[in-house]
Amino acid sequence: MASPNADGIPQTSWWEIVYESLKAHEVRLVAHVPDQVLAPLVREIEADPFFEVVRLTREEEGVGVLSGGYLGGLRGALLMQSSGLGNCFNALGGLPLAYQIPFLIVISQRGRLGEFNPSQVPMGRATPRLLEAIGIETVSLEHQAELAEQVDQAARTCFATSGPVALIISTLLSGGKRG
Amino acid sequence: MDSIEAVRLLRERLSDEPVVASLGTPAFLLYSAGDRPLNFYMWAAMGMASSVGLGLAIAQPSRRVVVLDGDGAALMNLGGMVTVGWRAPPNLVWMVLENGVFLETGGQPIATSERADLVAIARGAGLLNVASADNPADLGALLDHALAEPGPSLVVARVGPDASRDLPPLDPVRLKHRFMEELSRTGHGHESSP
Repeated sequence: MASPNADGIPQTSWWEIVYESLKAHEVRLVAHVPDQVLAPLVREIEADPFFEVVRLTREEEGVGVLSGGYLGGLRGALLMQSSGLGNCFNALGGLPLAYQIPFLIVISQRGRLGEFNPSQVPMGRATPRLLEAIGIETVSLEHQAELAEQVDQAARTCFATSGPVALIISTLLSGGKRG
Repeated sequence: MDSIEAVRLLRERLSDEPVVASLGTPAFLLYSAGDRPLNFYMWAAMGMASSVGLGLAIAQPSRRVVVLDGDGAALMNLGGMVTVGWRAPPNLVWMVLENGVFLETGGQPIATSERADLVAIARGAGLLNVASADNPADLGALLDHALAEPGPSLVVARVGPDASRDLPPLDPVRLKHRFMEELSRTGHGHESSP
């Protein structure tokens, strides 16, 4: 699925790198709310029987689902847009942070570079600071070259230190959502 | 029926089934009915017990997973009820104590005290074996059925506003370790691996 870059050299897309890293770290339970940027990653995951997938109604549920999955022996990842992160905070505080339950949070960024919709700006801009305020380690994924290393280290930190780690997919990396 | 009686009916039917108890009244009653390492007591994140139960049921497909919820918490996560109905884990049993109030905050009435019908809502969300009981004999029969038949099942226990002040340990990390160690000791890992 590698597509050529501007120089005609085959380049692995960001979502293929994230997909491979989830598998490499035995992250098998994926809960998500649909997002245009995350769509190719979710398609790949849903087509792979390695993964158990939960299509959520609202993002907060994913915090519960992944906490329960981890208690039962499954590592997990929550995939959503930054707007959906706002729906999660009380559950993040009361479950993974209070009980020290790790899972990855993959966030498609809205409201930053390239945004076309003013209503997405307040939550999108606040996203990294909100995560920091509640004490969740956060990594911004912006450059293809360091992506594999960042995701790998984030997953290792998450499961070794028993706390959720957030990966923000920057519009610089994904191209963002087009209006 | 008293809520402690309803929870005792559940408790006496348990062997190796993990139970996720919603914060407040359900957790306190479950603890009061008899503590065990496979009880996971929540201390916050109201509404999330059913979602935790969904994830646990997926991770532990070879045993029943029980959620002990309150009606206030169930109403707070009706979206999650639709998700449970759609993902449809056959091993999930969701028991809701319906007293029509927010007991821990002073007994303020909630929608189930008048118009909201949890049985109709749960059926509409796609859950199975959905029924309610207001006496111990009927509740026991409903629990036996839900614990034996494919789910996801939802059982509503219509109870009075009796509470418990028996508090489980206020140590979330210890509760987690105790629960996970007992799950692991009693077998059944995740078995749906390809």
